[in-house]
Amino acid sequence: MEQLTALIIQKVPALAVAPWAVTLLLIGIVAFIILQFAMVFAGFGTYLERKIAADIQGRIGPNRVGPIGLLQFLADGVKLILKEDIIPTAADNHLFRMAPYLIFTGSFAAFVVVPFGFSLIAADLNIGIYYVMAVTSLVSIGVLLAGWASNNKWSMLGGMRAAAQIVSYEIPVGMALIPAVLVAGSLSTQDIIRSQGGFLGIFGWNLFHNPFSFFSFFLYMVAALAETNRTPFDIPEAESELVSGYNTEYSGIRFGFFFMAEYADVFVVSALATACFLGGWQIPFFNAASLPAVWANLLSLGVFMAKALALVCVIIWIRWTLPRLRVDQLMRMSWKYMVPLTFFNFLGVSLWVLIFKGKGIPQLIASIFG
Amino acid sequence: MSMKSYINDIWEAVTTTAKGMRITARYGIDVKEEVTIQYPEQRGPVFERFRGFLSNDVKTCISCNMCVKICPVDCISLEAVRGADKKMVLVSYDINIGRCMYCGLCVEVCPPKSLVHTGGFEKSMLGRDEMVLHFIREDAEVIRQRVARQVAEAAAKAAEEARVAESQPKPAAPPASAPEPEKK
Repeated sequence: MEQLTALIIQKVPALAVAPWAVTLLLIGIVAFIILQFAMVFAGFGTYLERKIAADIQGRIGPNRVGPIGLLQFLADGVKLILKEDIIPTAADNHLFRMAPYLIFTGSFAAFVVVPFGFSLIAADLNIGIYYVMAVTSLVSIGVLLAGWASNNKWSMLGGMRAAAQIVSYEIPVGMALIPAVLVAGSLSTQDIIRSQGGFLGIFGWNLFHNPFSFFSFFLYMVAALAETNRTPFDIPEAESELVSGYNTEYSGIRFGFFFMAEYADVFVVSALATACFLGGWQIPFFNAASLPAVWANLLSLGVFMAKALALVCVIIWIRWTLPRLRVDQLMRMSWKYMVPLTFFNFLGVSLWVLIFKGKGIPQLIASIFG
Repeated sequence: MSMKSYINDIWEAVTTTAKGMRITARYGIDVKEEVTIQYPEQRGPVFERFRGFLSNDVKTCISCNMCVKICPVDCISLEAVRGADKKMVLVSYDINIGRCMYCGLCVEVCPPKSLVHTGGFEKSMLGRDEMVLHFIREDAEVIRQRVARQVAEAAAKAAEEARVAESQPKPAAPPASAPEPEKK
């Protein structure tokens, strides 16, 4: 951001009187672009989800609005905006209004460190992973708030469940991401991706770095599914038992915010998994830095989006495969299985990095053959 | 909980999930049969004995009133007058499809088989009065007058012929008055 500001001021010297204004404008533009991306992805995500669900269940899915139903999400969005925004009389007005924004802010703020491309990142924070973990915790507050403020027993139960679930699964999520951080020696998402490049192609990915990081990826995906409240861990929404839980009382655009936050979350989770384990925007057997900046960025953006969207599809696929877990099963899974396993993995990766000086199995094999 | 059962649990979770995901992937990628019919574009077959909307071929209808009499819900109403050739002429034939219960009795009873069930089942209207199907487009009064005129002409012609046949010079017969339309 600072470099970009300096560049603009260099090009247009008249702006030098107020460099902060340029920075502010740039921040605004970047935030707007990412917001648009999040919203379009939320729309596209619903379309993708419905199409995949339809395929799995032998149906056709949305096919009325636009060619093969592609504009369905626009129709849904317009419908959500035009709907009446109902606030129950018995609800806690201020908290009720605040909750969707908290949730959306929590999911949306995580986009700041999503590394879309070679140099396409809103802010390459040196605490990237930690920042995501911290900021997505805001979602649990929002969900709890929504459940409490609705003054509805189902919402309340949903909110309580969501708080319990998200707090439980934060630990495995964080622990499962640690291997990538350990291997890269940095919390910045860009540094983690850069550490996965090199001449080894896809074997440079953290996924194949060592057995522990391989399992870490799957542990992360399972824990992240739970953190985004998606089936099979969707007990906070559980439409068949809690009438969709904490967002029961919401309608109109406020419900739309919950909806967008859910799909934004799914994307953030996939993007993080891509960045930490699947090599992010690294193009296999190819050094993006050797290309002109525009092409490097476009190519790496394409590669990153392909990987992230593939993971999104897997998440949707899981949703339409597995039934919902019971609350006690969910808690048992977190505390008895996920937490010990991720800690074990953490220990394993730490020892591996210590013993083999940070080299992965592919690198070791490559070094044998020179 | 022993270590063995702990690892066994994990193994079972992983394998069963993989199995389930394989099944859904197979269904998702390789769709064996298409069950859903895209209704307005594609239509399923209409079966031979399907009882859809009633339709009367007014050309072959003999105005016998059987359908009106057998209808349990009185949804058919017809009006006919006796024409010049002693056959009944339909003045109006209405079916109130809002009332019709598609029992098919009228179709069974129809002597010339002019009343049939079609395969049609799609209709929409804004008011209940639009639910009445009119099978004769012409105005009833116009038909009545035309038939009366034809009957009168035929009567006049018959009278003329009778007069010629008798070959008895007689004072001109008074013009035959139009017979009253026969109501049934």
